[in-house]
Amino acid sequence: MTVPVAVLLLVVAAPAANAMPLRADQGPGEPIAAEPLTSPAVLENESRGPGTVEVTLVASATRMSLVPGVETDVYAYNGTVPGPTLEVREGDRVIIHFRNDLPEETTVHWHGLHIPWSADGSPFHPVAAGESFNFEYTIPEGSAGTYWYHPHPHHRTAPQVAKGLYGAIIVRAADDPLRQIPEKLLILSDNRFLADGSIDVPDRHTPVGNIDFENGREGDVLFVNGQIMPTIGLRAGEVQRWRVVNASAARMYRLAIPGQELLHVGSDGGLFENPVPTDEILIAASERVELLVRGTGQPGTTTVLRDLPYDRYIPQTRPAGWSEPNDLLTVRYADAAPVEPVAIPSTLRRVEWLDTTLVTTTRVMVLTQGFINNRAMDMARVDETTTLGTTEIWQVENLVGMDHPFHLHGFSFQVLDRNGEPEPYASWQDTVNVPAHSMVRFVVRFTDYPGKWMFHCHILDHESAGMMGILEVR
Amino acid sequence: MRGKGTGAALRFAIILMLAVATSALVSAYTQRPDPDLSATRLSVHEQAEQEQIMRGRQLVLEHACSGCHGGSLTPDGPAWLMGLTESLPGNEFLIGPCVMEQGAQPCFRTRPRNLTPDNLTGLGRFSERQIFNALRYGLRPGETPDVEITSTPGQGNFPASPKYLAPPMPWVAWRYMPDDDLWAIAAYLKRGVKPVRNVVEDSEGPPDFWVESYTDFLAANPRPVPPFPAAAERTPASGSVDMDQVLRGRQVAVQHDCGACHGGFSNPDAPGYLAGVGISPNAIEFPAGPLTEPPLSGPCSVQAAGVACWMMRPRNLTPHATGIGGYTDRQLFNALRYGLRPSTTPDIEIKSTGPGQGNFPAEPDHLGIGMPWPAWRYMSDDDLWALIAYLRHGLKPVDNEVAASEAPPDLWAGVYTVENIGPYPAPAFPTANEVGGRK
Repeated sequence: MTVPVAVLLLVVAAPAANAMPLRADQGPGEPIAAEPLTSPAVLENESRGPGTVEVTLVASATRMSLVPGVETDVYAYNGTVPGPTLEVREGDRVIIHFRNDLPEETTVHWHGLHIPWSADGSPFHPVAAGESFNFEYTIPEGSAGTYWYHPHPHHRTAPQVAKGLYGAIIVRAADDPLRQIPEKLLILSDNRFLADGSIDVPDRHTPVGNIDFENGREGDVLFVNGQIMPTIGLRAGEVQRWRVVNASAARMYRLAIPGQELLHVGSDGGLFENPVPTDEILIAASERVELLVRGTGQPGTTTVLRDLPYDRYIPQTRPAGWSEPNDLLTVRYADAAPVEPVAIPSTLRRVEWLDTTLVTTTRVMVLTQGFINNRAMDMARVDETTTLGTTEIWQVENLVGMDHPFHLHGFSFQVLDRNGEPEPYASWQDTVNVPAHSMVRFVVRFTDYPGKWMFHCHILDHESAGMMGILEVR
Repeated sequence: MRGKGTGAALRFAIILMLAVATSALVSAYTQRPDPDLSATRLSVHEQAEQEQIMRGRQLVLEHACSGCHGGSLTPDGPAWLMGLTESLPGNEFLIGPCVMEQGAQPCFRTRPRNLTPDNLTGLGRFSERQIFNALRYGLRPGETPDVEITSTPGQGNFPASPKYLAPPMPWVAWRYMPDDDLWAIAAYLKRGVKPVRNVVEDSEGPPDFWVESYTDFLAANPRPVPPFPAAAERTPASGSVDMDQVLRGRQVAVQHDCGACHGGFSNPDAPGYLAGVGISPNAIEFPAGPLTEPPLSGPCSVQAAGVACWMMRPRNLTPHATGIGGYTDRQLFNALRYGLRPSTTPDIEIKSTGPGQGNFPAEPDHLGIGMPWPAWRYMSDDDLWALIAYLRHGLKPVDNEVAASEAPPDLWAGVYTVENIGPYPAPAFPTANEVGGRK
């Protein structure tokens, strides 16, 4: 079986190798050797106190290899891309000593976490170059799930994430029903490089910059945890829990493992009540999914985690080749005796619907190309106002011909219906994709934490250009 | 290379739009009773709103919006203004060199949008100011914020990367309309039309959203138009001519884009302005008929053997003997209101509305396809007489003999039936596709 495997690797790796600069000792067409998937380091807890996680995070400009053999100027958290993973438990007190060693202002936004406004890392709380800031918050009970962190300075989110600033957050529950299942973290990202190895972030008002603005910037090199086409080993019969973070600026991934059924078990805000069998999962920019992958393949064979084509684009700037699938990593079924399959619980946890009889307001959010409710972001303007304790429905309408993933800071929500079709089960999300010319309604409860919270399109080029608004919770 | 292609595309797109506008074949007309507006006493505000909506309706009719955006030419027909539908697939346009040469690249498909006030698929969530900005500046509502534009491209708050409507949309002519008229159109579309849910796939186009095409065009066709008299114009001998009427006629000619086919677009300084085929580079002959091949311009020889094809040649509209000089004002009025060829229609006042009635010619000889008289006929009498006064007295005569357009044996009478082009006058407001306009 060795020869077919080698051929397969050659085929899948060759396009990526062609798309990027070659290192000096690498001949044309020579594939990059498949490496096992590695996970980013976990931020070291400097606290000995129970229930406290105290870590140090430094953003700095550095030079490293994102593509093997090619040196690139990047921004990195603690010197790595992706940044180290923040692992915490529900109820933990978290203290993050953040230092900005970048040559520009930044923030750290704890995407999806329900924490005080002052710690949200939104454009309202910039950390100047050379300055430090201590983020302090408590992880709410019931919020176990997969989150991520990234910069969010006004107008500069897209380029700073493009340069390498993103990392994962895992919130664990004491009573995690899947704790016996081995897990993997998969942070998906893409990037684009110039011939000299530098990251290609063109000016907005250039032809390529204009296309990047329309589509959201996509890269032709696809990374999983910063690796290109790595390999995950899986024993026959084994079950793995994959926590998948879409850290791409714009790219949506339609994930599938050809010929294999996936069990979709969680979304942005953690586990569903019941596993949902599916052949594919669409994950918009900034969304997370949790899925169970079962070792159903023959020992010694391989398959791939594939990103199937998905047309999220307007025709004007739809990229050539959008209809081609992309392979993200190799799944190698270990050439070893099958293991006894573990029992997958049919009920993961209770996920109650929010009480929609308490809804007092329905807010309409109209998404167009670069605007929300036909206005561009203004930091001096409050677009929406609500009061603590309010339950609301947000009706998000996309009027244009491409998808927009809509993100609300600070408060997770439950999708009620999409184009009038009721959602089949309750789940927690902080980002929802709103496809072209369609409408999504979600219910959200503003329990605590007053402040000025952002809502925006999570295509980062749209967000940075002003497709964002401010909700003041009083 | 692309700029040249899309520039040509712009020219042909406008011609194509006009051709489609006049040849839209629609289903039967059903007369509906007038609503008894007098039964309700309207406040001054309501009355003003009603008048604005009715003015907008008139402008939508006389500018043939539905010729591309769906349905019949009158508001009582099906699919009124709801954009590209499966029942009207012909309203998807090709833009680019492929219009002239089959298979040439680039080739973009553009699709008329849903203009009804449906929230998700039409104009419902756009403000009237955004509709105004679309008509005045060509800025796509979905890609332009709801702000008052106070500058020109490249300056002030005009979008740094403007997103222009695709070339078939004749905003380059519509932008000459007075503010009040543009607001009236916006009012009618938002408050006078019933919302219809109809998703229209986005148009294709160059990644720069036509900026390159429009930059040169807008420079060559400034707004406002040059002061009267421009190069193609003359000051009438004083005394006999009502100058206000001539200037109103000039405005009508500009905003109805007569120059798109007859020469010089909307610029009376342009060589060959309204002088017909042969002088202005944009006054060209084009084929008409039940064409089968994608290229809708160029000679009939590109058509499949046996397919009817006639060459249309926009005429010389200047007051020279080779132009309109030999016709009476009333013959020109009958051409604009009823589509009757001046050269073959007697100089009589027509007192009936269509063939087979009163003194309407029993065997009418109609202007060729391309001349959008089925829409122009909804202009007020005053505007038609003003347009004629302008052509007669405000334009310099230009000696330019244009060969007659070709025509089928029935001289288009089979096309221009009430069933196809709707009634004149237009059915009373509101039809089943419209709403009363009173809140």
